[in-house]
Amino acid sequence: MEDRSRAGVRRTYERIGDHFSKTREYAWPEVESFVADAASAETALDLGCGNGRHAELLAGVADRVIALDASRALLSEARARVGPRVSLVQGDAATLPLRDGTVDLAVYVATLHHLPSAADRRASLDELARVLAPDGRALVSAWSTAHDRFDADADAEEGFDTTVDWTLPGGETVPRFYHIYAPAEFERDIEASGLALHSLEISSGNCYAVVGSEGKVP
Amino acid sequence: MKEDLMDIICCPLDKHDLELEVEERDDEDILSGRLVCTECGESFPIEDGIPNLLPPDMRDEAPA
Repeated sequence: MEDRSRAGVRRTYERIGDHFSKTREYAWPEVESFVADAASAETALDLGCGNGRHAELLAGVADRVIALDASRALLSEARARVGPRVSLVQGDAATLPLRDGTVDLAVYVATLHHLPSAADRRASLDELARVLAPDGRALVSAWSTAHDRFDADADAEEGFDTTVDWTLPGGETVPRFYHIYAPAEFERDIEASGLALHSLEISSGNCYAVVGSEGKVP
Repeated sequence: MKEDLMDIICCPLDKHDLELEVEERDDEDILSGRLVCTECGESFPIEDGIPNLLPPDMRDEAPA
């Protein structure tokens, strides 16, 4: 039975985290180029860090990296691969336990689409805006209707909710909640948040936005 | 967790400062203890060196 709450999403990853992590070995090229283009940062944040593959990249350009995830199982996987510059924190993307304006560089990759309500998703974008430093930059990605696996209209105004099964090695399947964003909806949600949109692109079926916190008055 | 993480973390609920209560440490690494919000009093555990700053309703022991 699928549990549509943020606690339910966490429980899903507590169950599948170990196996999931083994299939997520490499950083995404879109994230590699975002981090490569970034100036060096004092504090970086990997929001929804999973097994820490992107936290490792951030540690190459930042003095300190916060790797945050709701799932303890995934954080345990991350601990095995990240170095001493990376601090692991268990937390919720919609209620970040981080102070205002402390993050210079952030990646929020393939996590936003797991938040079960539109209100949670918008709250998490506002939270990212809150924690970013005035000249901070972040990369936000989410699965989109432009992906090949969905028989969906990429030009629609709204995306849709779905579940995608995760199959464990024993054959057991675990349903995972996704909100598949229409690109127009993704752009709208970012524009409506405290984030300033710098650029938007569709790559490998995902929406990617480079955002900052400047230029917006709360 | 490293003690200098206190510079950046805060209560997830009201964003106020946290107070660190150490139970067990290994040099500058805090292995277990609690983080208590100085405003709302909510307590967040540090378990196995990782602070659990989930809102209480996302923790296992919370009623559904």
